[in-house]
Amino acid sequence: MTKRTKPTSHNVVPMKARFAIPRQDMPEQNPTKRAGNFLEVNLGLTADQAVIEAQRCIECGNPTCMEGCPVSIKIPDFIQLICNRDFAKAAAKIKEDNSLPAVCGRVCPQETQCEEVCVVGKRFEPVAIGRLERFVADYERLHPEEMSTESVVAESTGKNVAIVGSGPAGLATAADLIKAGHAVTVFEALHEFGGVLVYGIPEFRLPKEILRKEVAALESLGVKFIKNFIVGRTQTVHELLNEEGFDAMFLGLGAGLPRFMNIPGENLNGVYSANEFLTRSNLMRGYEFPDYDTPLYRAEHAITVGGGNTAMDAVRTSKRLGANHATIVYRRSEEEMPARNEEIHHAKDEGVHVMTLINPIEFIGDENGFVKSARCLKMALGEPDDSGRRRPIPIEGSEFEIPADMVVIAVGNGSNPLISQTTPEISTNKWGNVVTDEIGRTSMKGVFAGGDIVTGGATVILAMGAGRAAAEGINEYLKTGEWV
Amino acid sequence: MALSDIIKNMSFDEIIKLCCDQEQEAVNLYTELRNRATDDAAKLKFQELVDMETQHLVNLQTFEIEKYMDLPPANLKVTDYLTEPSKDRNLTTQEALILAAKREDKTAKLYQDLAHFFKDNVELNTFFQMMADEELRHKHDLETEYEDEFLQEG
Ligand SMILES: Cc1cc2nc3c(=O)[nH]c(=O)nc-3n(C[C@H](O)[C@H](O)[C@H](O)COP(=O)(O)OP(=O)(O)OC[C@H]3O[C@@H](n4cnc5c(N)ncnc54)[C@H](O)[C@@H]3O)c2cc1C
Ligand code: SF4
Repeated sequence: MTKRTKPTSHNVVPMKARFAIPRQDMPEQNPTKRAGNFLEVNLGLTADQAVIEAQRCIECGNPTCMEGCPVSIKIPDFIQLICNRDFAKAAAKIKEDNSLPAVCGRVCPQETQCEEVCVVGKRFEPVAIGRLERFVADYERLHPEEMSTESVVAESTGKNVAIVGSGPAGLATAADLIKAGHAVTVFEALHEFGGVLVYGIPEFRLPKEILRKEVAALESLGVKFIKNFIVGRTQTVHELLNEEGFDAMFLGLGAGLPRFMNIPGENLNGVYSANEFLTRSNLMRGYEFPDYDTPLYRAEHAITVGGGNTAMDAVRTSKRLGANHATIVYRRSEEEMPARNEEIHHAKDEGVHVMTLINPIEFIGDENGFVKSARCLKMALGEPDDSGRRRPIPIEGSEFEIPADMVVIAVGNGSNPLISQTTPEISTNKWGNVVTDEIGRTSMKGVFAGGDIVTGGATVILAMGAGRAAAEGINEYLKTGEWV
Repeated sequence: MALSDIIKNMSFDEIIKLCCDQEQEAVNLYTELRNRATDDAAKLKFQELVDMETQHLVNLQTFEIEKYMDLPPANLKVTDYLTEPSKDRNLTTQEALILAAKREDKTAKLYQDLAHFFKDNVELNTFFQMMADEELRHKHDLETEYEDEFLQEG
């Protein structure tokens, strides 16, 4: 590994005084107001706040923050550029390793990644790396005139690569491959590009305008985007490779198949998968009904089952759509919720009620087949098992009912079997995930895969990291033709 | 005639043979479901279930008490309240796990009943209790897998 050179320091605050600087709070919309609109909740740091926050960094010799970042962004370097108010250069520095910083700055679980291992965080609050990343990425978007216009695209290699799926995995792969000089075409099943970032994560957490700009930037580099194209149905993998002249392919299909609980009453009217509910609201703009003609049920008592980011997005959406009682029902305790801490806090601030150690066992309908309540059981955490986890166990006889005229199931997603069914040469495991090696090679020559389709539901940055690793693998394959 | 009455007059070897038949039935069921599955992922899961039951069958055929000594872990009851999938359709991996965990639970209950029935016969009581524990261990493993994969709540 090459030794990393420490960036030039631009921090004018003496070392000891840095610990006295409080972590800068991100301005946000007032909770009562925002619970009634879909505008972004967080408003971003101001430039002065960003500089102050950057000055909290103590410029560690061994910057553990970089190890905590799945794509090893050069965090100390971009922080020093912020200290110097060189925001455009800071953005360029992040982009060396992460092509979607405005997204990651908003949705990455920094508290379990870079910020968790920040040295300042051992005694004080960690440097707000995510907020700084977001700040410089937004600065870049708002000040295009300051960005370098130098061409980043290498000379054409004459090779064609097909990318299936325009989520973070597909976009990251496309960005690296177009820069390497290949012709890149992205095929997307839906009518907008961005994967979960557009159909899953709501506008109030990630404005869609950001994605549109990122896609436009890739288009300007030469990436061709084709929408409403379902690989496996519109055309198969074989047809694309053998008849359409693609030399290699990357599958970034995501994990878009909703999972249900398999309990009675799940097929009642008013019971949605989180996928359907969020897609209707975000992608089909149901939240702007009647301007957009996607109907969405306006509930009085909306419950969402689950404790992850998807559940938080769904319950906060139901609140914004007018539910007076928007409730999370989660079978474990709050400590085990996989959602980002910030989302849990934001949800509570907005009036979401969180019920933990509760699990629905049946949904009960009215005479017209609409859900009216959920029968639930109380749970208790069992003794730690071999993995140290305390698993929830139902308490016999603890059944009770809660009113629910809408239910959103957010217990997880699986992978869509379409590609594996139409291309049996691509091996999958028992969960339906595509099997690859560490550089993303599948069992079919020339076909790579990465992101949620390989790992199952994970995170944006892991999907992007997998996309970048696969892009390297594709470059190598296109150069040598070797597949061993 | 009730199963317990039949067993009462059997030798220990005959009882083991009866339990082996029970395990063989499970092997046959999972083999059939594996062959019928159109979903590759579910096929793999059913194959794992065939392997698990085959191993149990072998253990029974070469019965050694040591293999059955450990107490079963807690009953997680993850699948107790879930709808049992119909065996007549093509099942998914998720349904395969529910079906198998429920089957282990039912078999454990059968062995527990037999252990209770033979409470005055130390040898048979211990044997059936161990058999029940083994089924509960399988149920625990299946439910842990179910929880880790299908209740990620991410
Ligand atoms: C509601 C929700 C909230 C989340 N919140 C966070 C968060 O806060 N932070 C975080 O880090 N992660 C979060 N995640 C997880 C994160 O979004 C995913 O891990 C990530 O998007 C995976 O990226 P991907 O590119 O692998 O797949 P996706 O983003 O799922 O993209 C896959 C794309 O492929 C397309 N596609 C699929 N099949 C075909 C086909 N046959 N032909 C053509 N196109 C196809 C799909 O339409 C989709 O656009 C969240 C997930 C959800 C659902
Ligand atoms: S670990 Fe924290 S203090 Fe150290 S370089 Fe990284 S951000 Fe700065």
